[in-house]
Amino acid sequence: MIDFVFAQVENLQDAASAEGQVLDSVILGEQFYFFTVVLMWLIHVGFMSYEAGVVRRKNVLATAMKNILTIAVVTPTFYYVGWWVYNCNQPGLPIGPNSSDFTSAACQGGIPWSDAFGPNLTNNINLIFFLAFLLFSWTTASIMSGACLERIRLSAYLLLAALLGSVVWILDAAWGWSAGGWLTLRFGFHDAIASGVVHGVAGAFALGVVFNLGPRIGKYTREGLARQFRPQNLHVTLLGLMLLFTGFYGFYAACLVISSTAFPGWANIYLSPTTLGSITMIITFGFAGGFTGGYFASRGDPFWTVSGGLAGVIGVSAGADVYAPTLGYLLAMATAALTVYAGNWIEKKMRVDDVVGAVAVHGFAGFLGLLWVGIFAAGYPTGLNNVDSSIGGQLMGMATFLPLGFLSGFVASLILKKLNLLRVPPEVELAGLDVAEYTEDLYMPDHAKATEMMIEPDGTFVISEVVLADADREVVR
Amino acid sequence: MPGIIDSSPSCVTNNEGMKPPDDSADFILQANYQDCAGFMTFGPGSTYGEEGTGAETAYMILTWLGIVVTVLVLLAWVVYENRRLIEYSVRGRLGRGEEPPPQPGIARE
Repeated sequence: MIDFVFAQVENLQDAASAEGQVLDSVILGEQFYFFTVVLMWLIHVGFMSYEAGVVRRKNVLATAMKNILTIAVVTPTFYYVGWWVYNCNQPGLPIGPNSSDFTSAACQGGIPWSDAFGPNLTNNINLIFFLAFLLFSWTTASIMSGACLERIRLSAYLLLAALLGSVVWILDAAWGWSAGGWLTLRFGFHDAIASGVVHGVAGAFALGVVFNLGPRIGKYTREGLARQFRPQNLHVTLLGLMLLFTGFYGFYAACLVISSTAFPGWANIYLSPTTLGSITMIITFGFAGGFTGGYFASRGDPFWTVSGGLAGVIGVSAGADVYAPTLGYLLAMATAALTVYAGNWIEKKMRVDDVVGAVAVHGFAGFLGLLWVGIFAAGYPTGLNNVDSSIGGQLMGMATFLPLGFLSGFVASLILKKLNLLRVPPEVELAGLDVAEYTEDLYMPDHAKATEMMIEPDGTFVISEVVLADADREVVR
Repeated sequence: MPGIIDSSPSCVTNNEGMKPPDDSADFILQANYQDCAGFMTFGPGSTYGEEGTGAETAYMILTWLGIVVTVLVLLAWVVYENRRLIEYSVRGRLGRGEEPPPQPGIARE
């Protein structure tokens, strides 16, 4: 017994040693990221419910399956490609005077056969940090998913998801979302919780895809006026968004670096100091401001009120590590209000059929968030070179990310379109993807199917079958 | 010894019947793993050294196998879905008395 007590005392002395403290700190970090990963799963539960609620009944199963299979595809592709892209491309492209050094130790740590990419007794952090980034990757793909609902092929979506989730977004993260990225080192680019890096780029990518994908059959009248498809279950959509918001707290937390042996214990992705409380305040005030802005700008529309909350948070994410709560609240309100107008403009003026408003909510609000930092949070030293954040640095980031996201989405979807692999045949779209892809209706046979209705541009309700049959005759096959 | 494949790296010492730990403070059985770092199945059992290069051949092959399978799965998804959609589309057109367009991979009567 006495030996046991001495052993415990010895352990306590070990724990108090510098080496013991470092080990404690590492294990604390490992646990921290683990719980952020668990929490971030709710983002995908949310995306699934959100999208399955907003589509028509005939596409519910296909929509949910698309969200689930995102995980099946982006996980291995990000493992084999994505982490290498992030770790090896921070200085820039493999050309020019500041090209990436692919032989550096940091780069080697990102290759899939690295000794740090499996159980390793000397490295507790690499795998769990990789997993946090993986969950960000799923998020980028799910953002694009919402824009393409009800007519994209599952396989086309999965290929595009792999490209966006495992190459495109993580390349911009290497450049502008790391302490050693070239945008950070040279321009002080500041996007602490990924307004542009995740949301802006994914929104731009989605815009490139929906340009090639085209609108759903019957979405626009011959005169180009937008009709509305009635969501099959708006309650599920709102529930999905609330789940997504819960997961966002994990997303926010995972964007920080934790080190209990260094004051103040927390740093943003650029290794500048912040605190967990600071960013949690901003996300919460972001929701408050976003809901308010969305509600009034949309005149109380439930979908845009809740989407406004999302847009509000995205709009304040870039500066969440330094914003005052009041500034976060006001900027979120403004972002959400502007996003509602942007969403309507994209749908009605650009005639882009983005089913959940992803281009506006993620793309527009994301890039606006970058701009807000340049205007309201300039002068914060960022990255290893401690270059001040500035409007110029933010504009440089926007000028890099916008074409990167849009062009990659546009070109990849154009290739699929040329191969006739992008969109389901019109017969399938009209009948519904569930019957064609999964040979069954979501609901039991005795669950009566209500007549599908649409809303004309003038607000009148009409039976969809008539409108869609008319629109189908104009589809070029 | 394992019945089929011994995938543990050489840093792991296999000595069954070794003396158990002295007390509960030694609850992690470290002795057999004390020379290990990256001890995953087919892994190197160590760190790769200063430059971080030099993966074990078996681990490299395993990783490339995973990459190839991932690519094949993506291609299979495209082909499989394409066939299902075309079949459904053709059935729909035949049901309406229309002549279906010629499609690759679909046998015509």
